[in-house]
Amino acid sequence: MISIKNLHARIGDTEILRGLDLEIGVGQVHAIMGPNGAGKSTLSYVLAGREGYEVTQGDILLNGESILDLSPEDRAAKGIFLAFQYPVEIPGVQMTTFLKTAVNAVRTARGEPELNAIDFLKMMKSKAQDLGMSDDMMKRAVNAGFSGGEKKRSEILQMAMLSPSFAVLDETDSGLDIDALKIVADGVNKLRAAHRSFLVITHYQRLLDYIKPDVVHVLAKGRIVKTGGADLAQTLEKSGYADILKDVA
Amino acid sequence: MISLTDIPLVSSERWKFTDLHKALKKKTLTPTVMGWGRGVVPLLTHAPGHERYGDTSLWDLNTAQTQDIKFISGSTDVNIHAVDGQMLTPRIIIHVKTGDTLTVNEFLGGTGSYWKNMVVQVHVEPGGHLYHHRIITESAEGIATIFTHVVLERDARYDAACVMMGAGMVRNQIHAEIKGSGAQCALNGVHLLAGEQHGDTTITIEHQAPHTQSHQTYKNVLTGSSRGVFQGKVHVHQAAQKTDGYQLSNTLMLSPYAEMDTKPELEIYADDVKCSHGATTGKLDENALFYLRARGIPLAQARSLLTMAFVSEVIDRIPAEDMRQSLLSDISQWLSDHV
Repeated sequence: MISIKNLHARIGDTEILRGLDLEIGVGQVHAIMGPNGAGKSTLSYVLAGREGYEVTQGDILLNGESILDLSPEDRAAKGIFLAFQYPVEIPGVQMTTFLKTAVNAVRTARGEPELNAIDFLKMMKSKAQDLGMSDDMMKRAVNAGFSGGEKKRSEILQMAMLSPSFAVLDETDSGLDIDALKIVADGVNKLRAAHRSFLVITHYQRLLDYIKPDVVHVLAKGRIVKTGGADLAQTLEKSGYADILKDVA
Repeated sequence: MISLTDIPLVSSERWKFTDLHKALKKKTLTPTVMGWGRGVVPLLTHAPGHERYGDTSLWDLNTAQTQDIKFISGSTDVNIHAVDGQMLTPRIIIHVKTGDTLTVNEFLGGTGSYWKNMVVQVHVEPGGHLYHHRIITESAEGIATIFTHVVLERDARYDAACVMMGAGMVRNQIHAEIKGSGAQCALNGVHLLAGEQHGDTTITIEHQAPHTQSHQTYKNVLTGSSRGVFQGKVHVHQAAQKTDGYQLSNTLMLSPYAEMDTKPELEIYADDVKCSHGATTGKLDENALFYLRARGIPLAQARSLLTMAFVSEVIDRIPAEDMRQSLLSDISQWLSDHV
């Protein structure tokens, strides 16, 4: 599904990713854990194609094709989705308008017919309801005045609407209390499917109690330094990152 | 032919960003009568505030030349369409009687090279309310100079919205005298300028009575090598205690070649007032653009969506649903052509 090979990336003159390798198979859920400054958010932005993040070496392949030359919107159309750590507030653009524009842009790019207003609203309402989001929230501006938990639910709603084949969740647990975390994790678990892969980026093991990963990686200093099963997350939670980092040159 | 001797020069303080002289010099125009008739209504012969604020020549020129006078005391639409070679001199007098509510929609447009020198006098009697919408789609070579004078009596309300989507050069000048306590004056504008267009909004609001309010909200979107001007003066007279005055001009620069000149002014002689002004000039928010694109929305559409969001605050204030919808559709057309 997604294959990251010897990826080097920098912001300005600072090299953040230094030879990152990662293979995620179809239908798998991988987790990346790591200390602050390891390059977790940089990886998520590089995957989504944000300007200012320059790939200097290596490649990212989606189903065997490089995505490095694609714009963010083309990557979204190909099925890549990034759930933001800090979702952006957009005053003046209504949630409903935003979602409809996004869904139809992606459908058009994928060669599918646009949804009409009625079908779209039906789909949006049912998915919003699953996440406990009211009609009133859909009438407000994108993420404007949403609480931390509401913003993360809004990300999961967008993911559900856009039906990606590869979703990256960047610190989706940050700023969530336990109830909000459960709602968000339930939303993600509902979307787990044989044709869809996930990369869950997190600092803490807590989220992985609710979204069970197939594989856990440790990212430090811009590279994957350890890979293991779900139990690796528990080990890290007990011993911290210090032991692993000791071994990284 | 027109005489240029009375045309204001850029050396005059209120005209320093708009060179009407230069714009008119290249034109050969013939004064043209539209056939509204002259009526029997007495005109204000001198521009209001001419002793204090100067700047009277275009008003006086209109008074001297006009053969087209329209008197309005009920809701109506006014269309002023100029064609190549014309100089039009329309005069509109809007009278809102005590307790009445009126909506007047002006549609200003044209083809080719022309000049409209227009004066609009507005008088709102106690408790009256005027919704005044001005939609400007002048041709790329059209010049429009519009001087609107507003008098508000006790508890009168004036809600104006100007949407400029086409201009060669437009000078939209508004002078509001808030004479009665409890009166409210709201001036809103959206200026969408492209190419070489020049759009100038120059406002003077005089708070002459206590407990009066004025609100100005202007949103400018500049592309190409267009130039926007916003000069807003709020003058609070000594008698006008408890004045609430607010002025905001936000500009979105979508091109490195565009230019915006903003000049807010407060002149306050009363000691118990609340007045504020703000002006911003900026580009589209990169974070928001990336967020939209990461959701599959193509760059041009994302820019257009954010620009629409920027101006919609003003459009949303227009109470008439049909006017609002028609403006939103015109604006989204403009955005798809220019953004």
